[in-house]
Amino acid sequence: MSAPLFKFGLFGDEASLLVAFAIGIGFGFALERAGFGSAKKLTGQFYLTDMTVFKVMFTAIVTAGLGAFYLGWLGVLDLSLVYMTPTYLAPQIVGGLLLGIGFVVGGYCPGTSVVAMATGRIDGLVVVLGLFAGMFVFGEIFPAIEGFYHSTAFGAQSLPGVLHLPYGVVLFAVVLMAIGGFAGAEWVERWSARRTAEEAS
Amino acid sequence: MTTATDVARIEAPPAPRVVSKTRERSQAKPAAAFANPYLAGIGLGLVLLAAFVVMGRGLGASGAFSAFVAWTVDGVAPAHAEGNGFYQSYLAYGNPLKGWLVFEVLGMVVGGLVSGLLAGRVRPVVEKGPRIGTGSRLGLAFLGGLFMAAGAKLARGCTSGQALTGGALLNAGSWAFMLAVFAGAYGVAWFVRRQWR
Amino acid sequence: MSRFIPKTLKGKLALTAVALGFLALFGNPYRGETVTVATQDLAWNLQQADRLSAPELADRLISGRTDHRILDLRSAEAYAEYHVPGAESAPVSELADYPLYRNETVVLYGDDAVGTAQAWLLLQARGFHGAVLLDGGLGAWKQQVLFPALPEGSAPNAVARAKAVAEHFGGQARVGGAAVGDAPMEMPKVEAPAAVAPTARKPKRKEGC
Repeated sequence: MSAPLFKFGLFGDEASLLVAFAIGIGFGFALERAGFGSAKKLTGQFYLTDMTVFKVMFTAIVTAGLGAFYLGWLGVLDLSLVYMTPTYLAPQIVGGLLLGIGFVVGGYCPGTSVVAMATGRIDGLVVVLGLFAGMFVFGEIFPAIEGFYHSTAFGAQSLPGVLHLPYGVVLFAVVLMAIGGFAGAEWVERWSARRTAEEAS
Repeated sequence: MTTATDVARIEAPPAPRVVSKTRERSQAKPAAAFANPYLAGIGLGLVLLAAFVVMGRGLGASGAFSAFVAWTVDGVAPAHAEGNGFYQSYLAYGNPLKGWLVFEVLGMVVGGLVSGLLAGRVRPVVEKGPRIGTGSRLGLAFLGGLFMAAGAKLARGCTSGQALTGGALLNAGSWAFMLAVFAGAYGVAWFVRRQWR
Repeated sequence: MSRFIPKTLKGKLALTAVALGFLALFGNPYRGETVTVATQDLAWNLQQADRLSAPELADRLISGRTDHRILDLRSAEAYAEYHVPGAESAPVSELADYPLYRNETVVLYGDDAVGTAQAWLLLQARGFHGAVLLDGGLGAWKQQVLFPALPEGSAPNAVARAKAVAEHFGGQARVGGAAVGDAPMEMPKVEAPAAVAPTARKPKRKEGC
């Protein structure tokens, strides 16, 4: 078992910043390839016209999820060393709602706003500025909401742990759900295109 | 066997290309079609997997923004930053700009730009629908950023860190977050539809 | 059979994903976390239990090697009173999550041999195969490095060496006389703990997003 490489001491903190840069390049490249530098494409998801967000996100989840599973099973990757964000249920749900609202209002999520800005989108740049401003406001009001911020802490919880099911079972369920979702998404896209054509005629 | 339409096509001369010089230039490199979403998703998934294998962590974006804000506040008003738990969570470990996420986000700028250049998709533009003005669009963009900042910090991540990373690792809180994001977005979409359609 | 192989790329990808997902039903990705202790290996390891003698540790420190970490398993008060130069306070209760790299040499010492051995086993089980015991614990450090009592008639250069080593660490060597044993000795003044651990190893930056 020799991975995650960083946690086995293969390289230090300074080199990890270079790794971060390299991984970031791949991340930004993949996002732009998918068309996520465009607010119109991204928000199409929420008007059921363009389901690319769902397709890309869940394909990535399935790919990385299966990859991590198999590398762990083969003993190449020590999955227990991969950082799992602890669960803070209420703040995460409220945060998710806020992020979703901000996403459809602003047109980008934080990651895609960076990519949009890089490809010249002025609205992407403005979202970035809004993010900075929002973080500052959050920091300033933080003492007031600190209680809520730390509430409902459950530590790192995995779905298999919460559902008391083996990891592979949950993963298989996720794969099936994703494939089903993709079929559904394609159907929705076709339906939406038909509807737009009908409205136009 | 030539039909009537064939004859019509042969006889009618091709319409002269009366196109201004500037339009010709901007149309010189048509934007490439987007990649197949499933292939793009696999690529994204492999990048995420690489992060797992090399670093033992996933991707992220929002953390870089808050690191920068914490660094700025510390530079302008260090005493104020010291008393605030939020800023301290970034400042307690040394220079926040030397953080993994900051470098990752800088890489994202480069990667996004390279992909955009290769596809001819880089141009200064404001993405919006036909029924809204630029000013309103930019105003809403800023507002969206504000909401997302609050949401991302409460949830300890955004779609990159929580939904993608936590989703792949079957993190329970991340899946709850993901559902909430879609719920929030779908719920409000109708009200801002004029931005896009 | 070929009817079931999808023709489109999407179909092929979907089939691959479902097949891999199905296969996952029979696997377990957490090879590292739940510790399956192979009893044969363990018995072998116990015999080989990686040990470091006190003089060897002293040599390491004197020659300025930094490719190791020294963990003091005793309480924080005991640590504050005296600790081996360069040691970090790591009470056993914190050992389960203590941040360490997998391939570091980690020298463990405490007062109690059994406790130290248990801590060693804990780290080995967690996968830190670079963990070694200070043979004899702090007692051996006192007796063999700080306050060695060399027998009468020892070679002069051995005596000189022992004296030099002892003085390097603030102790004192002598020739003849009884071994130090458990007699309470005045331990060398140790630098304030603040000088040792916190700046030497910054707390790990959080890994969230």
